[in-house]
Amino acid sequence: MKKRMLATFAVAVLVLAGLSAQTTKINFQLNWSISGDHAPYYVAIEKGWFKEEGLDVNVMLGKGSGFTVQMVDANKAQIGISDAPVPIEAIAKGAKLKIVGIIFDKHPNCMFFWKDSGITKPQDLKGKTVAVPASDGHKVMWPAFAKLIGLDPNDVKFVNIDPTAKPAALGSRKADVVFELYTGKPFMEKAVPADQLGWIIWADYGFNAYAHSYIANDDFIKNNPEALRKFLKVSYRAWQYTLNNIPEAIDILSKYQPINRDDFVANLTAVKEFFKTERYKNFGIGYIDAARMQDTINTVKEKGVDIKGDAKDYYTSAFLPNPPYKFNY
Amino acid sequence: MKKTASFLSRLKTPMVILALLVIWELCVRIFKVKEYILPSPIVSLKHLFLAQPDANYNWLLHIRITLMEIALSFAVTSVMGIAIAIGIAWSSAIKKIAMPAFVFLNSLPVVAVAPLLVLWYGYGLKTNILIAFLVSFFPIVINTTVGLSEIDDDLLDLVKYLHGTKTQIFMKLRIPNSLPYIFTGLKISSTMCVVGAIVGEFIASDRGLGYIIINSQYTMDSPPIFAGLMLVSLFGVVLFGLVSAAEKLCMPWHFRVKGSD
Amino acid sequence: MNKRASLAGKILPKLLYAIVAIALWQALIVVFKVKEFVVPAPLAVFKSLFSGQKVAENTWWVHISTTLSEIAVSYIFTAVAGFFLAILICWSKFLRAILMPLIAVLNSLPKIALAPLFLIWLGYGFAANVTIAIIVAFFPIVLNTTVGLDSVDEDLLDLVRYLNASKLQVFMKIRIPNSLPYVFSGLKVSATMIVVGVIVGEFVASSQGLGFLIKDSQAMMNTPPMFASLFIISGLGLGLFAFIGLLERLLMPWNRREEGGEA
Repeated sequence: MKKRMLATFAVAVLVLAGLSAQTTKINFQLNWSISGDHAPYYVAIEKGWFKEEGLDVNVMLGKGSGFTVQMVDANKAQIGISDAPVPIEAIAKGAKLKIVGIIFDKHPNCMFFWKDSGITKPQDLKGKTVAVPASDGHKVMWPAFAKLIGLDPNDVKFVNIDPTAKPAALGSRKADVVFELYTGKPFMEKAVPADQLGWIIWADYGFNAYAHSYIANDDFIKNNPEALRKFLKVSYRAWQYTLNNIPEAIDILSKYQPINRDDFVANLTAVKEFFKTERYKNFGIGYIDAARMQDTINTVKEKGVDIKGDAKDYYTSAFLPNPPYKFNY
Repeated sequence: MKKTASFLSRLKTPMVILALLVIWELCVRIFKVKEYILPSPIVSLKHLFLAQPDANYNWLLHIRITLMEIALSFAVTSVMGIAIAIGIAWSSAIKKIAMPAFVFLNSLPVVAVAPLLVLWYGYGLKTNILIAFLVSFFPIVINTTVGLSEIDDDLLDLVKYLHGTKTQIFMKLRIPNSLPYIFTGLKISSTMCVVGAIVGEFIASDRGLGYIIINSQYTMDSPPIFAGLMLVSLFGVVLFGLVSAAEKLCMPWHFRVKGSD
Repeated sequence: MNKRASLAGKILPKLLYAIVAIALWQALIVVFKVKEFVVPAPLAVFKSLFSGQKVAENTWWVHISTTLSEIAVSYIFTAVAGFFLAILICWSKFLRAILMPLIAVLNSLPKIALAPLFLIWLGYGFAANVTIAIIVAFFPIVLNTTVGLDSVDEDLLDLVRYLNASKLQVFMKIRIPNSLPYVFSGLKVSATMIVVGVIVGEFVASSQGLGFLIKDSQAMMNTPPMFASLFIISGLGLGLFAFIGLLERLLMPWNRREEGGEA
């Protein structure tokens, strides 16, 4: 009788130990407040995919790439989303993190304007007033893009606006141009009628740097490599599912966050455009192209940041899912 | 006759607010204002009450959270604000150290240091209340301090002549004298607690009315923004009214003839 | 001899205070190994301020003077508008009933939430920032002044009325002088709020100024100018507060203002 109780007790302890050892808590820091490209994580949570792999993921809303970098560096968040140039600069300044996966393959930076302003190519921006929040990735990467298209970065007049005021700034014509991701088009269309809205996607003019990426804390990478691998595997699986099932993904997102479904379906549909590249077709979602990453690092170097070490100090492809996930074009 | 008059006079505030809503609705209609700029109040209110098949807004949950933050931060701010002010008025040493620090702190735009606060304290109720406190403590501290110091000189001399101790002077003279100042400070701080709680939610929360407002702003969904703002200002007015009512209870002698004669 | 000693007595402790605070700051950074892109060391902040280089496309002086002039202009308007509103409220029961709830509503709204509206209605620039700052900071002045105008000694009012004083005379000779302590209290609170209000205005939309500089350097993770701006801003608030205190001592010399510490 006693032997049986002991055995049961031992089994129970082992099972509990096994279970608790398997569940890793991850604080996942988003780059901004909720948008369509955050749907995959909620899809994964809804379908229990994180739980299956023993991950307890806490999704935290963000305040920009810089804030995500600070949180991941401090290990307050183990994984986060950030625009690639920001963590690169931070790593050069001593931040303890690495880029571990790519989100948007084609760079989604864009500029919007009224069609009647006569702007047809980015060089037409010379002398115009551009409204963009100071913390916006567009502002950070503008000097590199300006150089690419042959403009002096100071050829445009910048007005810093609150991030919530982008459509208002353009709609009221208080600014000639607004920098915003192409995926924000549905929201800009509320201020400017769709048939009068013009736009130019930076990537169409050769802007090649990486944008939204996953970053992870160095200690977390060292101590929990399997958890990181599983996180990326589930996330990219969720991306595959989301891009193949956009309306359902938004339905799921709307269960967790207050959103307007129609706007977000349009938003996520636009997001898909930036995943539809030859590179992702061939190598799968999340693939990090070494040459392009080096280009991104060089962009940061040109800003005047002292880049020490080499590329492997800044990113690693070791945790991407194998085989990679691909979605229906 | 008197009863009707007094009943009507109590309706003054709600009627002013109603008039404001009517003017707002008329402006939107007459000037054909685009919805993303300023939605009509009717559209905004509809968003509150109709079941939204399109989105999970759960207004009751968010309202409850914001109300709790406002209540807690007002309690913390009032108690600590008055305590700090008593400390400052009691000892000029404390005043020399604390006052510059508080003025400095109050001039710091919270929105600028907010990311640091979240980095150090994380998201959640504690950080929210901290932010609301930072935004709203100053009026109470200043007003209370002034109130405790503004004593009629002759009265002060008389009490000293009668050998009143420092404590007696404080309890019997300074504190009762400062009540009008304290209540004015509380009134100011009450609306600032509302602002502070909402700003705290902008910065450090994923729930509450502030969260809905800021989230809807990024997605250009203006009816929920204004529904949220209407609720927020309602809370502010109600809290302000509660403090005024408390004032009338605590200082009935104070409320006789108001300026109009 | 006495004057010099008392002046030193006033400045020395404040200087000491500042030095201790800065030393503490430096110590905390070293002890907790804080990285520069989170919180910069005092030295980095000073270097950024005095290096003579441009920040965010303009010299420090341009940013400081922009914000300083916005503060000065908006504060004057706030004080005048606040005082005037309070007189209106006190003068007429009807206006009191209408204005008080409206003002309470306005003050409960987080102004940063109205950013898109402000941008559309006011555009960006000096006038827009001043307007937003006034809306942020006028409430304490209105409220305090109103209470001050209301709180007149009953007996004094009766006496004056018995002497057939007109409403205007009562206002000018009794209510307004009586309200001065309250007014100054309100001015002091609004002094710090006006600084915040100007910065909020610049956060909404601007192309120069200390608020603009904060946002710009924050985005680039360039913390030294950001912290330098924060300190200058708070310093401006402190300065304005002290100035009001000075004004108060000049205008109300009869206020002996006994501290609790004297018995």
